[in-house]
Amino acid sequence: MKRVLAGGSLALALAVALGLGAPALPACSTERDAGSPARSVTRLTDPADADASEPIGQDLLVALAQAKNFHHKAKVYMTDGNLPAATAAVRQILSLAFPRGAPEADDVRNDARALLAKLLISQGQLDEAARTVAEGLAQSQRESFFVANLYTVQGEIHEARATALDASDPGKSAASGERHAAIESYDHSIQINERLQKKLMEER
Amino acid sequence: MATQDDDTLTGSVPDPEAEPTPAELAHARRFAELVDKTLAGRTPPAMSADDRALLEVATVIRAARGQLELAPARQRAVVEDALRQAIGAEPSPGGSVTPIARAPARRWAPWVVAGASTLVAAAALLVLWLRPAEPPGAPIGRATVPAEWTSRSADALIGPIARDRAGDASARIDAIFADRLDGFRARRLARRGAP
Repeated sequence: MKRVLAGGSLALALAVALGLGAPALPACSTERDAGSPARSVTRLTDPADADASEPIGQDLLVALAQAKNFHHKAKVYMTDGNLPAATAAVRQILSLAFPRGAPEADDVRNDARALLAKLLISQGQLDEAARTVAEGLAQSQRESFFVANLYTVQGEIHEARATALDASDPGKSAASGERHAAIESYDHSIQINERLQKKLMEER
Repeated sequence: MATQDDDTLTGSVPDPEAEPTPAELAHARRFAELVDKTLAGRTPPAMSADDRALLEVATVIRAARGQLELAPARQRAVVEDALRQAIGAEPSPGGSVTPIARAPARRWAPWVVAGASTLVAAAALLVLWLRPAEPPGAPIGRATVPAEWTSRSADALIGPIARDRAGDASARIDAIFADRLDGFRARRLARRGAP
């Protein structure tokens, strides 16, 4: 009988403790303030959030270091006059694996595309250069100074086409169209730069 | 007046081949019932001396054949006496069933558990109620860290790219790598220096 009573008292104790603790469970998943919106703990990270909260990790540094080495390698080839080898070295930057959602990845790739396009221009491969720039603009998730730089290089490509058209058939309207396209590209670049500079000034 | 039942042990021994008399059969049935009652723990308080002697013999024979089990109360008493001796206490006098007294700690243990659990639950409620509210929109599970330690756009670091420097990507990647390496080292050093 005493054992039954002891077991019963223990069960009663646990029931009291659980009864007091039960109201705390909903508080773990909801906001206490009624004014603040309730947020799900399973909410996925938005790419915009990653811009300001993902700590720098070793994987990001490794990717940046590899990009840096390929750029230096390309620079040596350019100094040596070996533009195809320099182009190949820069292309390898585009296939580097960056941490998912790292904003630096877009910047580094766009910068590599700009250099790649300039190398292709200098080798007379204007269509390939234009394709390289167009791919970079299409894949960009946000405006940046690197995107603006891509528009600048796009303008240079249009200028190079206009020059080539002038040389092959002077006075043709196609060259004029390329020049207009170049101006549009430069305007895009200028507008992006202005917006970003204004934004940075406001943040400071 | 002596009866036939009374001289069962002292009377003449009947011939083994002789048929049992009705009196003998009746005595056998009565004695069988007496044995059954005894094995069931319902021994009659009064019986004849011969029956008592026969009953003791029957009990000894049954115990000798290994079919005798101790009553549960007696078993508990034996075990508790053994436990008492194991912990150095005196065995219970008389061998009667005397349950070991429950320690005071065991008596109070359920209430101690109940009190502690209640206090923990109340403390959890207070912590949940008094904690500062997080700003709306803040990512869950992320600590606030300096911007220099985080992965972010390189716009603020590089600034607008002049047209004559459009192909100078090598210098820009050097600047980005150096800046992020500084942030990474600062974060690592801060974590090591944290208490």
